[in-house]
Amino acid sequence: MTYILEAKDLRKQYPDKLALRGLNLQIEAGEVFCLLGQNGAGKSTTINLFLGFVQPTSGAAYINGLEVAKNPLEIKQHLAYIPENVMLYPHLTGLENLNLFSRLAGFAYAESELRRYLEHAGLPAEAVQRRVGTYSKGMRQKVGIAIAVAKHAKVLLLDEPTSGLDPKASNEFSELLRQLSGQGTAVFMATHDIFRAKEVGTRVGIMREGELVDVRPTTLLNANELEQLYLHYTH
Amino acid sequence: MMQSIAQKEFVSTLRDRRFVVLSVLVLGLLLAATLVGRARYRTLQQERAVAQQTVNDQFHHQPNRHPHRVAHYGSFAFRPKSGLSLLDSGLDSFTGASVFLEAHQQNSVNFSQAQQSGSLIRFGELTVAFVLQQLVPLLIIFLCFSAFTEERETGTLKLLLSQGVSLRQVAWGKVAGYGRAVALVVAPALLLAAWLLFGQEEVAGSPDVWTRLGLFVLSYAVYFFLWIVGSVVVSAWQEHARSALITLLGCWMLGTIILPKATANVGAHLFPTITKAQMDAEVHEQAQRGINGHDPQDKRSAALKEGLLKKYGVTSEKELPVSVAGLVMAESEAYTSKVYQQHFADLTRTYERQNALSTWAGLLNPYQAIRPLSMGLAGSDFAHYVHFQQAAEAYRYQLVQRLNQLQAGMGYGDKERKLDAATWRAIPTFEYEAPPLGWALGYLLVPTLALLLWAVGLCWLGLKVIDNTRVA
Amino acid sequence: MKTFWILFAAEWRHFRAAKGLVLLTSLVLLVGLYGIYYGTSEINRQRQHLAELPALARHNVEELKVKFPDEADAGEIGYYHTTFAVHHPTPWASLALGQRDVNPYYVKLRLLGLQGQLYASENVNPTKALSGNFDLAFVLVYLFPLLIIALCFNLLSYEKEQGILTLLLAQPVSAATLVAAKLAFRVALVLGLVLVLSGVAMLWAQVPPDGRVGLWLALVVLYCLFWFAVAFLVTSWQRTSAFNAVALVGVWLVLVVLVPGLLNVFVSAARPVPQGLELTIKQRDEIHGGWDKPKTETMNRFFALYPQYRDTATIKERFVWRWYYAFQHLGDQSVQELASAYTDGLRQRYELVNRLNWLSPAINAQTSLNALAGTDLPAHLAFQQSATRYHDALRGFYYPYLFHKVAFTHADYAKEPTHTFTSTSDPTTALSGLGKLLVSTGAVLVAGLLLFRARPVNPR
Repeated sequence: MTYILEAKDLRKQYPDKLALRGLNLQIEAGEVFCLLGQNGAGKSTTINLFLGFVQPTSGAAYINGLEVAKNPLEIKQHLAYIPENVMLYPHLTGLENLNLFSRLAGFAYAESELRRYLEHAGLPAEAVQRRVGTYSKGMRQKVGIAIAVAKHAKVLLLDEPTSGLDPKASNEFSELLRQLSGQGTAVFMATHDIFRAKEVGTRVGIMREGELVDVRPTTLLNANELEQLYLHYTH
Repeated sequence: MMQSIAQKEFVSTLRDRRFVVLSVLVLGLLLAATLVGRARYRTLQQERAVAQQTVNDQFHHQPNRHPHRVAHYGSFAFRPKSGLSLLDSGLDSFTGASVFLEAHQQNSVNFSQAQQSGSLIRFGELTVAFVLQQLVPLLIIFLCFSAFTEERETGTLKLLLSQGVSLRQVAWGKVAGYGRAVALVVAPALLLAAWLLFGQEEVAGSPDVWTRLGLFVLSYAVYFFLWIVGSVVVSAWQEHARSALITLLGCWMLGTIILPKATANVGAHLFPTITKAQMDAEVHEQAQRGINGHDPQDKRSAALKEGLLKKYGVTSEKELPVSVAGLVMAESEAYTSKVYQQHFADLTRTYERQNALSTWAGLLNPYQAIRPLSMGLAGSDFAHYVHFQQAAEAYRYQLVQRLNQLQAGMGYGDKERKLDAATWRAIPTFEYEAPPLGWALGYLLVPTLALLLWAVGLCWLGLKVIDNTRVA
Repeated sequence: MKTFWILFAAEWRHFRAAKGLVLLTSLVLLVGLYGIYYGTSEINRQRQHLAELPALARHNVEELKVKFPDEADAGEIGYYHTTFAVHHPTPWASLALGQRDVNPYYVKLRLLGLQGQLYASENVNPTKALSGNFDLAFVLVYLFPLLIIALCFNLLSYEKEQGILTLLLAQPVSAATLVAAKLAFRVALVLGLVLVLSGVAMLWAQVPPDGRVGLWLALVVLYCLFWFAVAFLVTSWQRTSAFNAVALVGVWLVLVVLVPGLLNVFVSAARPVPQGLELTIKQRDEIHGGWDKPKTETMNRFFALYPQYRDTATIKERFVWRWYYAFQHLGDQSVQELASAYTDGLRQRYELVNRLNWLSPAINAQTSLNALAGTDLPAHLAFQQSATRYHDALRGFYYPYLFHKVAFTHADYAKEPTHTFTSTSDPTTALSGLGKLLVSTGAVLVAGLLLFRARPVNPR
C-alpha cells in the first residue's frame, strides 16, 4: 500500500553538520505522529524535507506516494503546513489573508465560509475584519490553522503549532486535530509538548542528533512514562 | 565612556568588509578625481595661458596702425583657472573661457566646455567636489543606517545602557567613531590635493589659497558631520534597519538630485532670461541716443566740435590741436559702454534672481548649501565668473579709451596717418587678479549660515529623538 | 496561470497598503508631469524667441531705410544689416531638451567674416546649465530607475524577512510564479506610468504620429525593462532587503553617475578637440592683417576663389567695400582647416561616446532620446553648417552689387536670402541605441534567470 507520508533513508548533510541520518518512516491516513526532540535534533529539517524547502542529500521523502523532490508543486496540493510562528501579510485582514492563501491553494470560498473556518479555528469574530498587523501571536496562529483546515489536505505538517497559544486554545487545537484525523487526515507534528503529544498522538517518535531513536504507539505509555523515555534518550 | 564607544564603532567599522570595500572604492575615486582634476586644470590653464600670451604678443607686435584700427583689432581676455578649481570646477565647464575685447561693444564670454561636448557632460563631471558632496554622504548612509537599529535588534543596546551609559553618550560615541572612519577615507585625498597644490609655484606661496583650502576642508567636515548625525538619528528613530536605509536613501536622492535641479529650473522659469538678440537690439536702441563715433553727420558730434572750436579759440577744425574724431569716439565709447554695462548688470541680476531660489533652498537642503560654498571657496562660482567678466570689461574700456585718447592727440587729419608700432608695446596687457577670500566670503553668507543652522538644528533635533528612542 | 493572476491581484493590494510607495509613485508621476510642462514651455519659449527674430530683422531694415533714404552702397548695407540664422526645434525637443539650452539656437549674422560670428553664445545662466534640465528624458533616465529600485529592492526579501514566504511556498505555488507575478505587477505599474507620461508629453508637444512614436516608446520601455532585469538579478541573489537596496543603488550610481563621469574624462582625453578660441584668434589676425597688406595681393587671392570678378576695376581708393569684404572672406578662408578640425573633433567625440555607450544603458538611453529629438551635438553642428551655407548665400547675394558697382535700392532688401533650419531626428543613432539596449537587457535578464535557476529559493 502507499503511505500518505513516507521517508526512505532520508539524509541531509549540511556543510557543517549532518542534520538527518537516514530517516525511515511511514505514516498512514488518520494517524497523528508526534516527533519529540531537543532543539537542533533534526525535527524542522525533517518537516522542511517533506515540504520540499530543503533538498535531501540522499534518500527520498514521499507525500501521497509522490516523491517530494521530483514533484515540488504537486505535493503541495496534498499537504497543509502550520509553522511555529505563523506570519501573514500585516496590512491585510485575517479574512483577506485566509482568502488569498485559500485561492492560492485552489479554493474559492464565499465570505461566509471563510468566516466559518476562522471561527472554527477559534479566532474571535471581531478580529476577522481587523488587519493582521494588530493581531497577537496566538491570533495569527489561529488564522494559520484556518488556512490549513480550509485546504482540506491529506497531510498536515505542523512545526510546534501550539507555541504561543494559551492552554484553552491549545486544547481546542487538539480537539481539532482529533477531528481531522477522524476524517482520515494524516498529521505529522514536531513538538516539545510531551503532554499534548501523548494526548493527541497515535504514535510518538523521539529524535536525537538527526536520528529517529525510538517510535512507540501512545496507547502503550502514559505521559509520565513518555517523559522518562524522552529524558532517557536526550541525556 | 564616549571614547570607548567611539573606539568600538571605529574598530568594528574598519573590520566590516562592506565598509572596507566601499571606502576603498570612494578613496580610489577621490584620488582619481584629484588627479583628473589636476590634469584638466593644467591643460586648461596652459591652453589659456598660451592663448593669452599669443594675443598679448600679437597686440604688442602690431605694425604702424591707426589707433582706432587697433581698437577694432582689440584683444582677448582668457579666464585663468583658479588654483582650487582642481577640487571643485564648479561652473567652469558651463561658463565661457574667453571674451573678445573690442571697440564699441562688450562681447559675451564664449567657448564653454559644455558647448564642446555632447549631452554626456550633463550627467555630471567626476570632480573631487562631486565625490565629497554626493558619494561620501552615500558612504556615510551605508555606514550608519544600522547604528541603532542593529543594536536594538540584537539587544546589545540594552546591555550597553545597563552598564550605566546614557543614550546620548552612545549616540555621540557613534558619531565620533563614524566621523573618524570617514576622515580616514577623505583625508588621504585631501592631503594629495594639498600636496599637488603646493607643487604649483604660483599657488604655493599664496596664503589666500591656503586659507581657502582650510575653509574648504572645514565646510566639508561640517557637511559630513551633518550626514553622520542625521544618519545616526534616523537610525534611532526608525524601527528597522531597512526603513532607516530607505528613509536615508530617499533624503539623499531628494537632496542631491531632485531638489537642486528642480529649484534651478523653477528659478529660471520664474525670471526669464532675455535673449542675446533682444538684448543686442535694446543696447543698439539705447546706444543710438548717444553720440555715434562712426557717423560724421551726427548732430551731437557737430555740437562737440563747436565746443572745441570755442574752447581753443579757433575757427576751423584744421587748427585744432586735437582730433575731433578721436574725442567723438571717446565720448561715444563712454556712452555705449554705460549702456552695455547696464544691460550686462541687468542680465547678471536676472541670473542672481534665478539662483536665489537654489541658494535659499540651502536652508532646506545641506547639499545646496555646501555646493555654492565649495564653489565659492574654489573660485569657480557665479560671483567669481562675474568678477572676471567685469574685470575684462574694465580692461576693455580703459584700453579703448586710451586708444581714443591717442587718436585725439593725433590732431586733425588723423585718419590719414598711423602711429608707430612702438606705441602698442607701451600699452599694458590684460592681467587678471582673482578676487581675495574676503571678497568671496561676502557672497557665501547664506550657504555658510545655512550649514551652521543645520548643524545646530540637527544636533538639537537629534538629541530630542535620541532621548525618546525606544531601547528594546 | 491562475495562481499567477491571484498573486498579481494580491500585489495590487500590497502596493496600495504601502503608503510610502504609493506616495513615491504619485510623486514620480507629478515630477514627470512637471518635466513635460518644463520641457514644452522651454521649447515654446525658444520658439517664441525665434518668432521674434524676424521683427528684429525688419526693424533693422527700417532703420537702414531711414539711414540710407536713397540708393546706397551695398557695402554699407552689408556692414550694418543684421540677419539671423535660426535653428527650429523638432516637436520632440520638448521631451528631450538635450543640449539645446547651452548651444545657441540662432546666430546673428552680418556680411563680415563668419568665423568671428558663428560661435557667439546665447545668454545662459551657467548655474542653471550646471543643474541641467528637468525634462521628461531626465525623469525617465534618472528617476525611473530609482522608482524601480524602490519598488523592487525587497521583491522577495520582504516575504522572507516577514516570514510569510514559508506559508506561501507551502501552497502549490512555485517561487518562479511568485517572483514572476510580483515583477509583472511592478512592470505593469511602471510601464503604465511611462506610457501615460509619454502619451501626455507627445500630445502636449503635438508630435507627428510617425515611426518615432514607436521608437520613443520602445526605447523608454526597454530602458525600464533593463532596470527590472537588474532588480531581478539582485533578487535572484536572495540577500537581505538592505543588501539589495545597497546593491541596486550601487548599480544605479555606477551606471548613471560614475560611468558617464569617467567616460567624459576618457573621451576628452582620447579625442582632444583643437580649441575653438585658437581659430577665432587666427581669423582675427588674418582679417586685420588685411588692412596692412597691399590691396592687389588681397584681391588676387580673392579672385582665385571668385574668378568671375577678376575683370572688375582695379582698386585705387584708400578704402572700398569690396576690398574690405574680400579680406574678411580671406580671413574665413585661412581658418577653414582649423574650423573643420574643430567640428570634426566635436563630432568624433560624439561618435566615440556613441560607440562606448553600451557601457551604461543610461547614457545609451539619453543619447538615443536626444538623437530622436534632434537636440544633441550633431543637430547643432548641422545647424552651424546650414548657417555657414546661409552666410555663403549672403555673400553670393551681395558680391554682384559690390563688384559690379550696382547700387542697393530699398526694393533689394526683400531679395536678400533668409534662413531657416529645423533639426531632424537621427533615427539611425536611436535605432542602434535600441539594439544595444536590447542586448544589455537581454544579457542581464539571462544572468538573472541563470542565477535564479542555480539558487533554489530558500523560504527561510
